[in-house]
Formats: sequence, C-alpha cells, structure tokens
Amino acid sequence: MTTVLKTEDLRKQFGELTAVDGVSIEIDDSEITSIIGPNGAGKTTFYNLLTGVLQPTSGSIWLRDDGEGGLADITDAEPHEVAQAGLSRSYQITNVFEGLTVRENVRVARISHEKTRLDFRSRASGDAALEADIEELLELTGLTDIADTSCDTLSHGEKRTVEIALALAIEPDVFLMDEPTAGMNPTEVTEIVSLIRELDADLDATFVVTEHNMDVVTDISDRIVVLAEGAILADGTPEDVLNDERVTEAYLGSDSV
Amino acid sequence: MSATTTAGGRVREFVSAAADGWTRERFGVLGALGLILLAFGPSFQVYLFTDFLVVALFALGFNLLYGYTGLLSFGHGLFYAGGAYGVAIVLRDLGPVFADIVGSGISPLLTFVVGGVVGLALVVGVAVPVGWLSVRLEEIYFALITLAFGMLGYSLIIQDPAGLTNGTDGIIVLLGSVDIGGSSFRIGARRTYYALSVVVVLAATYGAWRVVNSPFGTVCKAIRESPDRASALGIDVRHHRWMTFILSAAIVGIAGVLRAGLAGVASPGLTHWSTSAIAVIATVIGGATYFSGPIVGAFVFLYIRWAISRFPTLEAYWELFFGALLIAVVLYFKQGTVGGLLLLRDRLLGDDGDGGETDAGGDGEAPDGDGDSGGAGATVPDDETRTDRGDDS
Repeated sequence: MTTVLKTEDLRKQFGELTAVDGVSIEIDDSEITSIIGPNGAGKTTFYNLLTGVLQPTSGSIWLRDDGEGGLADITDAEPHEVAQAGLSRSYQITNVFEGLTVRENVRVARISHEKTRLDFRSRASGDAALEADIEELLELTGLTDIADTSCDTLSHGEKRTVEIALALAIEPDVFLMDEPTAGMNPTEVTEIVSLIRELDADLDATFVVTEHNMDVVTDISDRIVVLAEGAILADGTPEDVLNDERVTEAYLGSDSV
Repeated sequence: MSATTTAGGRVREFVSAAADGWTRERFGVLGALGLILLAFGPSFQVYLFTDFLVVALFALGFNLLYGYTGLLSFGHGLFYAGGAYGVAIVLRDLGPVFADIVGSGISPLLTFVVGGVVGLALVVGVAVPVGWLSVRLEEIYFALITLAFGMLGYSLIIQDPAGLTNGTDGIIVLLGSVDIGGSSFRIGARRTYYALSVVVVLAATYGAWRVVNSPFGTVCKAIRESPDRASALGIDVRHHRWMTFILSAAIVGIAGVLRAGLAGVASPGLTHWSTSAIAVIATVIGGATYFSGPIVGAFVFLYIRWAISRFPTLEAYWELFFGALLIAVVLYFKQGTVGGLLLLRDRLLGDDGDGGETDAGGDGEAPDGDGDSGGAGATVPDDETRTDRGDDS
C-alpha cells in the first residue's frame, strides 16, 4: 500500500478554457485505477500533463522514487525524463515504430532502458542478455509468433499489443494506458483484458487505465475516478461510482446521446 | 503463350541460378577485383569513378540524417566545404613547416593526412553548435535553417576572413609528390588518388554501416518512425538527433577532404545550396530508405551526367534531364533505384508466394512485400531490406 503517483491541485489552462481544473489524486500500487469521463472531460490532457508532453499551469506531479521509497517531483520534467523516472504510457491512437519489426520495436525500448543508445560500435542485436530480455517480453505479451513481422503489416489489435509491450519494456513503476481497447473487436477486447489482468498480476507496474468501454472498466478496475469538466467528480470502488447519480448525470448531460 | 511461359521460366531459372551463386563472399571478391581492374582503366574513367566515390560518401553521410533519422538537411555542403577548406589551408600554410620537421620526402603525405584530420576536426567543431541549434526545429523548418547555415558559410568564405579562404577564387590544393627510398609518386596522380579514395571511402562506408546497425542507429530509425513514441520510451530525441547530426557531418567532412584533393581546389561553391542539393538528389534517386541508396544514387547521377556530356548539344541542358528523372522517381519509384532493382529482382525470381529460398544474401528478409509487389515500388519495404542492403554495395 504505497503511493506511486500523486498530483496536487493540478491545473491546465488553454487561454480561457480550463481543461484540467485542480486535480489532486493519489494512485496506490495495489490496485488498477481507471480514469473515466465523458468526451472532453480532460482525460487526455491529464495524461499529457502526467507524461510531460504538456506543462501544467499550476500544481505538481510526484512519482515514486526508486532509491528512497519516497516521491520525486516530476512536474517540470520532459517526456523522456518522465519515462526514465518510471512512468510509461500507451497511446489511444496506436503509436508504434511502423517501419520496424515487432522485435526491433521492443529492442529500441530495451536499448533506451539499458541506456546504451549512444553505443554506435556494437551490433544492435549482438547483446545476448538484451536479446533474452526481448524474447521474454515478447513471450509475456504473446508476440513471439509475429516477432519478425514489420509493424506496418500488423492488424490493429496486434499493434495495440505491441504498444503494451513497448511501454512495459522500460520496466515502469506506473503504466498509463490510454483507451487500450479503442477500435478493437469483441474478441480482441477479451484478449487484451485478460492480458492486462495477467500483466498486473505478474509485474510490479501499477496500471492506470482510461477507457470508454464500461464493461472493461467494471471488469478490471479496483477503483474508478470520474473526471468531468476537468475536475474529479467521483472517486471510489466500481459499485459506488457507477451508482452515483452525479456520474450518470454527467454522462447523459454532456454526451447527449 | 506456352512459348513465352517457357521462355519466362528459363529466364527465371537462369536468374535464380545466378542469384544462388551471389553469395557475399563472391560478391566481395568480385567487387575488389573490379576496383583493382578499374585502376588500369582509361585515365578519365578512373577520375570519374573517384568522383563517384566521393559524391557517394557525401550522400551517405547526408542520408544518415535524412533516411535514418528523418531530418532533411539542405546545408550539408557546409561540412563538405569544411573538410575541403581544412585540408586546403593546412596544405597551403603548413606544408613548408612539415617539410622542415620530417624532411621533404614524406612531408606531402604527412601534410595531407594532418590536413584531413584538421578538416575533420573543423567540421565537427562547426557541426556541434550548428547541429545544436538546428535540431531544435523539425521538418521544413529544419531544412530551412540548415539551408541558411550553408549559405552563411558561403558568405563567410567569400568574405575571406583574416585572409584564410582566399574569397571567391578558393584555395588551390597542391598535393605534391612523395619520395621514399628512391621511389617517388604524386599523391594527386589519378590512379594513386583513386587508390587512396577507395581505401578511405570503403573504411568510412563500413563505419557508417556499423553505425546504422548499432544500438545508436536502431534508435535513429525509431526516431524517424515516431519521435513522440521514442521520447515516451525515455529517449532524449533532441540529443540523439544532435549526435546524429555531428556524425553525419563528420562523414560528409571526410568526403570534403577527398573532394579538395580530387578537384585540386577548395572553392566556396562547395557550401552553396546547389552542392547540398547534390546529396539530396543522389539520395532520392537511389532510395533514402536503403543504406546503399545514396551510393547507387550517386552512381546514377554522375554516370548519367557523364553520358549526357558526350553529346555537346545536350550538355547545356543536363539539369533538364535530372529534373525529368527526379519527377519520374518521385512519382513512380518512391523507393528509388534500389527499390526498383529489388522489385525487378523479385519479379525475375518469380518471388510471388513461394517463400524466399532463392534469396542468397542470407539476410533473412525473405517475406518482404510478397503480397504487394504490384505496387510499382511505391510500397514501403520492411526494415530488414532497408538496412541489410548495406554490404551489397
């Protein structure tokens, strides 16, 4: 029961618009947290703040510090520094290295993690320990069979799995998944959900998920945080949150299906 | 109908038999033999081939940044000129000094070597700040700032600062002759210079090939594919681009040193944008996604230009031919000459679905683009094909 990620009064303003409005949250390493909310609630902006892609207008972000067991301030860190500090992400719109094979994709992430990216003398595939790590990760994510396929020929579902493998390859403390099931068919959704469960059990990483598919959310979450208009509307166990009248209202009110 | 199929079948049979014998070792021996044989060819052909080697190295260095990292520089002429001026200034100003120290017999060679090292150091010294500033920008802005730096170099050289560069005339490069133990040879003699260039260019090419296949090069390719993704994995994209910029400039600098000796002059035109454009054109013609692309492109560029020059009436319009060629490549062969040749190979081998046992390169790229071979070269090849072509040239 330790806090791995914490924000304090996090705020992001785009001109007049307040996209994230004073979010304070503590993520615990013992549970899978889902962040949900209607379109435009500020989920993606919140992720972009956490990962250093955007700088907050005010507030702070803290991430578990490996050395002390305490928290380190990553508010002003750049994206690559955030990743090195132990916060990894997957994207809502698949973002993998299209022209490279699955194995090479993972190799890039491992090279980054091992900090050998400036080594221009040895062979990229020449490090036996690194290759073993890659193999292990491919097996864990079920990508062994398509390891040598170029990513631009993969199916959407396979690319999403590569996303996950990439994010895990840097051995993160916290793994932010942005809509892992977006655009997937029901079979793929089932597969990815069981993969997430499996990974959560096997690995030290703490999973934070944003998701539109409510079945998935109730299925995998220990805790649900609802964002609406940039602020936390509700926070608690799935039962509590989904029975909360304000949540139903927020969804029906702003989504106006 | 049946006649044509059997004829086609025979062609395929012949080609795949030939391809089977096309091992790396044989290719290497054949290449070496070709290089040696050429040394005894007509003097002009020796010169033309040396010219090709230098331009190939120029384009290869450029492509490390363009094809491998995704940054299009329009100012690499700056580093081409940097290498040339570095060696030219040392030869002009320090030749006599070296002659006093080591004696006049060996000093021309020593001066040239030291000049080369100075040229390289000068290029790196320039590339460090220029790269640092340039990699802050991307895409068209990167192209424009490098263009501006190239032209800034041009203006500077023309201004003749401190009497160093001799303005628009440039610096005459005299390589001199070496006397060791009674035998003497001129470094600048075409065949000698050809041999020297072969050694230097092969070594630099091997170095570049090692770089693109190293962890460093793998990260370059990742950045080319998706800079956002790379930084989300903890890669400092800007820093990596900067390092690639310096490495790329250094390779171009070596080409610049060789250029000065070959042309016999270091002139301001080397850093003019029209010289930078040669690297761009050669790379696009050859195929930026392949290691050998710039080399093949330089070959096509120089030999077509030579062929045109055989017809004096056409020579005045040689740029027109390249304009047309470039349009054809960009429209129909996005993967360039190398992409076209690979496609042709697949066609000739009848490589449509029966796996790739006939691929003798042994580089495991068998399943590439089988399904989309009708795409007239416009399809993106898989990465194995892109990089493993390296040693084939």
